[in-house]
Amino acid sequence: MSRELSEMYQSLAADADARDLGVPDLLRQQADRRARLRAAGSTVAVALVVVGVVIGTQVVGPPPVTVPSPAGTPTPPPVSPSPSVTGGSPSPPVSPTTPGRSPGTTATSPGVTGSPQPRTPTSIPDRAFFRLAAANQIGIAPEFRDLDVLPGLCGATFPSEAAIVQRRARNVVYKLPQNPGEGYVPDGTYTHSITIYRAGRADDLLDELRQAVRDCPQQERSGGSAPVLGRQRLLADSGYGDESVLFEMRSPGQDINGDPTGVQDVRLIRAIRVGDVVTILWEQGWENTSSQRAQVDADSARAAAAVKVWLG
Amino acid sequence: MRDAQSFDDFYRSTARRMVRYGYAVTGDHNEAQDLVQEAYARAWRQWGRLSAHPAPEAWLRLVVSRLATDRWRRLRGLRGALRLAGAPPPVAPPNEDSVLLVQALRQVPATHRRVLALHYLYDMPVEEIAREVDAPVGTVKSWLSRGRARLAALLPDLAVVELEATDVA
Repeated sequence: MSRELSEMYQSLAADADARDLGVPDLLRQQADRRARLRAAGSTVAVALVVVGVVIGTQVVGPPPVTVPSPAGTPTPPPVSPSPSVTGGSPSPPVSPTTPGRSPGTTATSPGVTGSPQPRTPTSIPDRAFFRLAAANQIGIAPEFRDLDVLPGLCGATFPSEAAIVQRRARNVVYKLPQNPGEGYVPDGTYTHSITIYRAGRADDLLDELRQAVRDCPQQERSGGSAPVLGRQRLLADSGYGDESVLFEMRSPGQDINGDPTGVQDVRLIRAIRVGDVVTILWEQGWENTSSQRAQVDADSARAAAAVKVWLG
Repeated sequence: MRDAQSFDDFYRSTARRMVRYGYAVTGDHNEAQDLVQEAYARAWRQWGRLSAHPAPEAWLRLVVSRLATDRWRRLRGLRGALRLAGAPPPVAPPNEDSVLLVQALRQVPATHRRVLALHYLYDMPVEEIAREVDAPVGTVKSWLSRGRARLAALLPDLAVVELEATDVA
């Protein structure tokens, strides 16, 4: 059977239409959250540079002198919006006219609608799992594996496991935005899971998890040369999915030889419920790095958003 | 000051077309969703100025194209590694023609994919495509013609490519 190219593109368009992009307010929230994180990261980086310069000056330089700031620092002129993918670039030489449209495509055809209720799915596709932001990617593809999705909590069991419809888990390696990427040492790893529960049972897991953390304020775990005492506590949490649970695990840090490093090793674990689905991010660091709250928050938002988009 | 309502209206009226475009230039649903969301996030960050742009949708397409090209380069090495390790099991395609076209488009240069998408999905005349991709009209005609020829070679059932090529000659 022969085909026309235009017909094949129409098929492609119809196929693409089946994919929901999400609601705009969610996208705006994510964009703003990311912008705030970037701003915070830049501030910290600048502060570190300033501190480094000051210390360096005190160590090797002449006695510091106070230099007044130049008056009347010019403000950069406003620039027109230009898409920057790998840096600044000129504005697109586009026509001011509205582009033509294919037959059947109208300007009022919304790709998205309001905020529909999440449906209860029966299987978990790859697209339900969030993608790391470009600044966090280190060139190592996530790997789906059969993993423990939560750390041990004094041997607690979760009766809600009996209501699981499907679960998938993967290992995600990431870097912090300010650090170099491919070829360099990562900053952390997640065990990231998504679990579908039978209708109305997903919130049981969150209740059970809260109780398990409360009932297990401390526990011993195996260390490099001797057991170490870890402490667990719930942290206040909101703004992720329909509800979420965030807790931390702290223990004395050990180096690769099992000797104490003198600093606390902090792990953050967040479970987020969206309808009958629970996604869990368990940050496990990389060679004794501790979890960074801002990074875990950002990835939690992406994880929840991906589940929402998937559920429609 | 950014006006959320006007951004949401813009998003709702363009998102479907943009996902189609993203899918046509990336050849991957998830990549397309990711790139288009990223492009809209960037648009929102600049919405105070971009809302006054004469053609914000064209601006968005340019961001998607550049992100797609960038990712295509970065993913090439990964794809090679995946081929050695064995490809993941394919997801059942909902539409055979679409899947065939996407598979063929993956073997077409990025510039050709872009102009083909603008022509077939946006029904743009060659002159307008040339303005958007910042290339001479003759170059765009050549890209369209070569893109179609390549697709015809990859899609043996494709009909009357020669006749279609004349509509932009």
